[in-house]
Amino acid sequence: MNAPAPDLPPLLRPLLPSADCIIEAENLCKNFGAQRALANVSVQVPRGTVGLLGPNGAGKSTFIKCLLNLETPTSGTARVLGVDIRARNRASREKVGYSPEQDCQIAGMAGCEYVTYCGQLSGMPFRKARQRTHEILDLVGMGQERYRLVDTYSTGMKQRVKLAQALVHDPEVVFLDEPTNGLDPSGREHILKLIGSLWRDLGISVVMCSHLLRDIERVCDRVMIVGHDRLLEHDSIAALKNRHRRIVEIGPASEPERFQAALTQAGLRVTRLSNGKLRVESASDSIEWVLELMRTHALPPAEIVSNPDALHELFIKAISTDHA
Amino acid sequence: MPDHADTLDLSRWREPALGVGYRRWTIISAGVRSLLRTRFFRVLLAGAWLGGTMIAVAGFVFSQSLASGGWLETLAIKAGPRAEALFSVLTGLVALYPDVVVHTVFTAIFWAHSFLGLWLSLIALTVLVPQLVTRDRSSNALIVYLSRPLTTVDYLLGKLGIIAGVLLLVWTGPLLFGWLLSMLFATDRDFIVYSGVPLLRALLFNGIALVALAAIALGVSSLGRNSRVTSTAWVALWLVFLVISAPPRAPRWIKRASFARDLNETREQVFRLDRALTEASAQLPLIDERLVTNLAAAGKRAEAADPSGALASLGVFVVASSFVFFRKLRPE
Repeated sequence: MNAPAPDLPPLLRPLLPSADCIIEAENLCKNFGAQRALANVSVQVPRGTVGLLGPNGAGKSTFIKCLLNLETPTSGTARVLGVDIRARNRASREKVGYSPEQDCQIAGMAGCEYVTYCGQLSGMPFRKARQRTHEILDLVGMGQERYRLVDTYSTGMKQRVKLAQALVHDPEVVFLDEPTNGLDPSGREHILKLIGSLWRDLGISVVMCSHLLRDIERVCDRVMIVGHDRLLEHDSIAALKNRHRRIVEIGPASEPERFQAALTQAGLRVTRLSNGKLRVESASDSIEWVLELMRTHALPPAEIVSNPDALHELFIKAISTDHA
Repeated sequence: MPDHADTLDLSRWREPALGVGYRRWTIISAGVRSLLRTRFFRVLLAGAWLGGTMIAVAGFVFSQSLASGGWLETLAIKAGPRAEALFSVLTGLVALYPDVVVHTVFTAIFWAHSFLGLWLSLIALTVLVPQLVTRDRSSNALIVYLSRPLTTVDYLLGKLGIIAGVLLLVWTGPLLFGWLLSMLFATDRDFIVYSGVPLLRALLFNGIALVALAAIALGVSSLGRNSRVTSTAWVALWLVFLVISAPPRAPRWIKRASFARDLNETREQVFRLDRALTEASAQLPLIDERLVTNLAAAGKRAEAADPSGALASLGVFVVASSFVFFRKLRPE
């Protein structure tokens, strides 16, 4: 399946029909006593792979928990896959998978038994649940460990089995809260590849909550930034990057001084980074002008990266603007 | 580690999901299966079914009193003239007053079995209480349940089903098995007819105990996230209160604070062994005056002291436990 998300208008423009949305929230609020965790969140999220970004305590997990009815919203309405979460509590989670941030294993069960049990809790017949369990456990990279008690698993294995239980019943949307926490580099790579292919190959929408902006940037085609109880940004990553000032980072293979002189001569403000790279602000997204400059001045080869850390800068900007 | 960068080799599941009844049953069967894996519970189960077999044996032996030339009569003849005379009296009484004799004997059998059933259930629940909600709270497994198409009520019914399953295995099952087996070899239809009411009373008490114990066990299990805390709370509520409420002069509120004592009093009220014994002493043509007096005295002793208070107290326990359960049942 190849179904990239449509390029949609930004935040608060309710143009999508319900069938195309995984999440529709309107003035969603959640208070814990006097403390406000979510304030009037209104958003329409189309199908696809969506990253949920925000600093600690911003309300990311609360937003997801409200959508799953694990927390009762104080006010406002929300729909998941077009189903009202309050009016049709049970039905709203029929086609939803959730992998929470913290461990959530059932003690005394082997890994495959646990995932099969989760499948059955979602209404799968035992045989089908067991078959899907083994397929999913293969996918998340679990071998014979699946026959061991979940209580004895390492953090990485717990993370994998959590992902497996979220996917076992073939959901239409899966909420992943920090899915790469505690994974070693190869495990992280493996899981990110898997998450990335969920939408591309199976059409399973993903809402991924993470602090790791690079993970979000790599896997997701849209991003929501939550800060100080509110939704600050929601747009496709490409559109967000376009709104950001254009930056080009150049890492010369040799003669960095000649590079810097040529760039300064061209009237650009150059910043030399501690890693030896040169950072310049560009007028366009294209890097053609850098290549032209290198040809003109016969400069040595260089690594050229357009808009590095754009998401990071955008995130910081969104948070600090809101804070101010 | 498989590489799935290009395509995912995965079967799809697009069938309609099975109903909520199936999901609740999944919780129940998984809970009971996990309990059956423990050796302690298997030993407990063996004891419970031995109790059921004892009912069958007692009922069978009693029903042989009407079998002329049967093994009981042969045994009585072999044992001597006194045993033979006693057998003849019993045969005569059963033949002439089947309603009174069968009713009284089976009431006594089921009453005695209810002690065993209740105690075994309480012991089984001591093992089960930390596994019900406590374990799910400590391992955050509540999220696993409640993020699926299940509600708090489904979870509650699933856990109640586990307790019902356990009580069925250690109490109701052996009771019905014992009765059915004894009736299978009964020599007369009267045994089936007149043991019916005592059986229904036994099942009624079983039902009351199930509701009360299930609610209290769930309430206690959801009190904390630590197994030791909830186990201690259960034992304290059961045994400590039972002991401190034992003295006859203990204040009424202490007596009512022990749910085990409340259940004991409810048992006396439901079985009405006192009435059965008093009626037997009044209606049967017993020549021995001392036997008549003893039967009447035993009936008096079996009388419930404060049945309505005990029932009301159990009601309060159920409401309070349900309150605790619903308050604590939130993913953390």
